[in-house]
Amino acid sequence: MADRKEEKVIQTRLGTLAVDMERVITFPRGLIGFEDCKQFSLVQLREDSPFLILQSITHPELGLLVADPFSFMRDYNVKLGNAEQKILQLESAEQVAVLVTVNIPQGRPELTALNLTGPIMVNYQARIGLQVPQVDTKYPSRYYIHGENGEMPKPGAPRPAGAEGKDREEES
Amino acid sequence: MLILTRRPGESIYLGDDIKITVLSVQGKQIKIGLEVPDDLPVYREEVYLRVQEQNRLALQLSDQDLFAATQLWQTEKKKK
Repeated sequence: MADRKEEKVIQTRLGTLAVDMERVITFPRGLIGFEDCKQFSLVQLREDSPFLILQSITHPELGLLVADPFSFMRDYNVKLGNAEQKILQLESAEQVAVLVTVNIPQGRPELTALNLTGPIMVNYQARIGLQVPQVDTKYPSRYYIHGENGEMPKPGAPRPAGAEGKDREEES
Repeated sequence: MLILTRRPGESIYLGDDIKITVLSVQGKQIKIGLEVPDDLPVYREEVYLRVQEQNRLALQLSDQDLFAATQLWQTEKKKK
């Protein structure tokens, strides 16, 4: 029994689910709009699907549809500030995975859109997550993955994470 | 809402570790300097609200639409 993984059965919007507690991701600041929910599990829906559910451990109704943006586009750079890197306990950019939230309008799966303005960054070694709103308007909040609007965005200048000085000025 | 009047160059402290300074006022634009702990993210309201709305939308999901979206994605992948 000693080598048994610590599992917890939780209620999700998709029914009950056994979660390996070692794989739970802690969001110290919650998600935007859901700041009180700090523990999530990533649930793969199907092996051949790019979509995942980011499911709250404590709130069954809180399961967000997310996806790996690189299944749909090649160029997507997330800008991380010093505060975000510190919260994520990042030492190198390789430690971090990116997820974006997905919106499928009811009955219109062809209008499935990725939200590129609020990426969710996960330090998968420390299992810490943080949603990082992007001020850069280069990426739309609705990126349609099918159809005419689903073309690749123009590649932008590469943005190394954390290359900012202490006094940064943002114009808007 | 607490309302305070400040001139350019004057500051407000929130607690011990957050300092907000009015740097300059030019017409309708006010330049604000923020000194906050380095693990405290700062967001513009409109960006914050947009992400909040998108999070809410990511919760609305029917199994049927999700299945259809996955099917569409697989079809497009095969085309490439």
